[in-house]
Amino acid sequence: MNADVLIIGGGIQGCSTAYHLARSGASVIVLEKDYIARHASGVNAGGVRLLGRDLAEMPLSKASMEMWQLLDDILEEDTGFRQKSVINIAVDEVDIATLKARDKKMQALGHSHERMIDQAELREILPHVHASCVGGAVSDMDGYALPYQATNAFRRAARRFGARFIEGQALNHLRQIGPVWIARTQDKTYEASTVVNCAGAWADQVAMQIGDNVPLSHAAPMLMITARLPHFTGPVVGAVSRQLSFKQFENGTVLIGGGAKGFADRANNTTRLDYAKLARAAKTAIEFFPIMRSASINRMWAGLEAYMPDNLPVISPAANADNAFHAFGFSAHGFQMGPIVGKVMADLVLTGKSDFDLSAFRIDRYDRKTL
Amino acid sequence: MTYDCVIVGAGPAGMSAAIELANAGARVLVLDRAPRAGGQIFRSAANSPLSDSGALGTDYTAGSKLIERFEASNAEHLSEADVWHVGEDGTVLYTQDGIPRTVQTREILLCPGAMERPMPIPGWTLPGVMTAGAAQVMLKSDAMVAERAIFAGSGPLLYLIVAQYLRLGVKVAALVDTTPRRNYLTSLPKVPGALRSWPMMFKGLGMMREIASSGIPVFKGASNLRVLGQDMATGLEFGCREQQRVMSNHVFLHHGVIPHSNISRSLGLSHIWNAAQHCWQVQTDAWGQSSVPHVSVAGDGAGIIGADAAQSAGRLTALNILKRLGRLTPAERDRKASEDHAVLAKMAPFRAFIDQLYGPSKCLCLPQQADTIVCRCEERRLQDLKEGFEQGARDPNALKSLTRCGMGPCQGRQCGPIVSSLLADWRQEPEAQVGYYRLRSPQRLLSLEELSRFQSRPRGGAE
Amino acid sequence: MFSSLRSTPAKTVTVTVNSQSVAAPEGQTVWATMALAGQLTTRKAALSGEDRSAFCAMGVCFECLVQIDGTPNQQACLRRVRDGMHIQTQDITETSKAPIQGIPE
Repeated sequence: MNADVLIIGGGIQGCSTAYHLARSGASVIVLEKDYIARHASGVNAGGVRLLGRDLAEMPLSKASMEMWQLLDDILEEDTGFRQKSVINIAVDEVDIATLKARDKKMQALGHSHERMIDQAELREILPHVHASCVGGAVSDMDGYALPYQATNAFRRAARRFGARFIEGQALNHLRQIGPVWIARTQDKTYEASTVVNCAGAWADQVAMQIGDNVPLSHAAPMLMITARLPHFTGPVVGAVSRQLSFKQFENGTVLIGGGAKGFADRANNTTRLDYAKLARAAKTAIEFFPIMRSASINRMWAGLEAYMPDNLPVISPAANADNAFHAFGFSAHGFQMGPIVGKVMADLVLTGKSDFDLSAFRIDRYDRKTL
Repeated sequence: MTYDCVIVGAGPAGMSAAIELANAGARVLVLDRAPRAGGQIFRSAANSPLSDSGALGTDYTAGSKLIERFEASNAEHLSEADVWHVGEDGTVLYTQDGIPRTVQTREILLCPGAMERPMPIPGWTLPGVMTAGAAQVMLKSDAMVAERAIFAGSGPLLYLIVAQYLRLGVKVAALVDTTPRRNYLTSLPKVPGALRSWPMMFKGLGMMREIASSGIPVFKGASNLRVLGQDMATGLEFGCREQQRVMSNHVFLHHGVIPHSNISRSLGLSHIWNAAQHCWQVQTDAWGQSSVPHVSVAGDGAGIIGADAAQSAGRLTALNILKRLGRLTPAERDRKASEDHAVLAKMAPFRAFIDQLYGPSKCLCLPQQADTIVCRCEERRLQDLKEGFEQGARDPNALKSLTRCGMGPCQGRQCGPIVSSLLADWRQEPEAQVGYYRLRSPQRLLSLEELSRFQSRPRGGAE
Repeated sequence: MFSSLRSTPAKTVTVTVNSQSVAAPEGQTVWATMALAGQLTTRKAALSGEDRSAFCAMGVCFECLVQIDGTPNQQACLRRVRDGMHIQTQDITETSKAPIQGIPE
């Protein structure tokens, strides 16, 4: 099977890239070893936030946020996106100082989407928050989407432009012969002039076959979701200095994250949970929101996610091969960037350049460093 | 606390295994949710609230002897201990009196028993519709009965509860038997084999005679079942030569039992599709050993065999675990096992006959109408699933992620078997190819406060 | 209608089921206590709000989720009555809102 572009990995980056390429008229094949959105893209917490983002990512993230606001209309699909704002709660003066320092830096750079709120406003927005919380920062444009649904929205939209999605076929071997990339799975061969590596937690293995070595690690951030609760919060909630992150969906279920990691077993395509850490996350949620005490956990899981040493993604042409590109290593905050990353990758593939400064995301940024 | 073996479930298999293990000197812990051992089949057999539990039959009353032997053994038994996580690493988490606790064990034996096969007919979510197993449980544990109820479906358990009701003088509105008429013919070749277990055949026939001679309306070969009612069940409509209606506020459904596999699934054990019994079951060898060597499964939870066979299976699994623990040589294990292996072999033809005769009909396993609910928790209907499938969700997990079918508190226990078979139907592939939901602990809803009280202790420490 | 064939007069306790005071034998399941009191609705379905009632009575269907002493999602078929227990039909749907009661401490 042949195409102009072969994308390895059917997560949100791969599906978004497929969409933008196919819309521009390129023929695209997406190769996915499990099914679309099986791993981090389908099982993450769905946060769509600018709040607290690394400054290096800010231009991309802002552009992506603008796309999210209109994404359902653009894709003619339901991504589940809701603009609900995201709040970072401060519990003491140290937290306030942390927020103030960031606020100063952001203002100096001309970013105005985050603003600090005092205790009174915090309580007004979050009436069920514990009395000891003293303030916070809020980003009003932020919100959440439904990861599995959003990733598949890109897939379906891409398919309407002719992109082909091959599920259940793992890449066994990839090589470039002259102008052609040849990808082999267990029983099929695919050929394309360009390859895009969007393989998430497995991206280092694909990068290696392209010719690029990369210090990627993988981990399994854990999540819990409750049975429905009466609605008590609209915004997505986090904390400045504590492992807390949760959101209540419109159906009443509450998703609790916070970054605690389970055990990642990449070779077996699976993860294991760390109950002691989940217990601590439960305790933290109750401390911030006593109403959560009687919430009932329905499911707990962990997804396999790729991390880079500096927690910044690789969004880059290959360093050691022509007609090969990378988009991976989003370090647990790539879901929000999916829409714009697809656009950037399509630009790189089709024109060789991007409107954005991608120097912080080069794949060879570690080459001269000792890690 | 560390053990040689932790057994989850104190039914016939779990109790039998525990006795065998404890007698051989192994350190055994049995965790069970009920206040008293017995499992579903022998529930309250040793402390029945009925003045005459004899009406429930001699099989049931015999259960009290096993319970007493188990309670007299050296096996530790924690009642009302609700296991919500079993880890491949030998960690078992359970809650007792609201406090989550941990035990560690070299060997794990799961005896999760059976649950009833879901029967997604129109109206099956209406209050007043329950399973025949529910009628049994209510009778055994609380001596509670439903007057003038309809019993609908097929299989020994259905006839047993009707017979028990009749013996206790409880009025029954009707028995609506969905066993397809052709099954009487197709199961005929299996009768000679089944006669090797002639006392069981005799008991079954006696029960059928008991029902026939009671004078209650019996409808045979019924099909196209629909529960009537708006806010609650008011009756059952079905075809039996012509369109029939029986009115009642109680409808008990049943068409066989299937292994309860949520724990074995969450553990990531291999499962296979049992075509003869039309259900998934965990993959084990002849000793109950699963795809993870230190995890075994015995009893109906490893494939439906019934309470008598479950006791043999429990003992066999225990013998193999004793071998694994180094307490028996392979030769000793095999010698001690010969009797139970023979018992199981002798029972197999009878089971095969029952499986054939009461094999579930496809139109009761799969919803027939677009608006019939499949996922009771999330209220997902056949049409919602079909739409999801057409949008590209071909895998049970993809369909779950897309439609929320199976995401509710029952963790797919009710909709999972239906979804597998629906996808098999739509994909024109066998269930084995389609697969099942990927499950995780907890096994039940766990309050955040309960979880927050969980404290893990460092491994390897003595207590 | 449900009725009880219980013969041995056990010690009884008093509970409330949706504010109806009910006497029940100690150790009886919450579900049986509700059913014998004629209160069959254990929960409201989460989307449609339709009445649901116990289905399997053995802990696998999660239809009998009730609120016990203020804590929701309790399986009525598995829990047993204790003196003074408050049992309520669970009514949590997608549109339920949590009442605001002062500043949580």
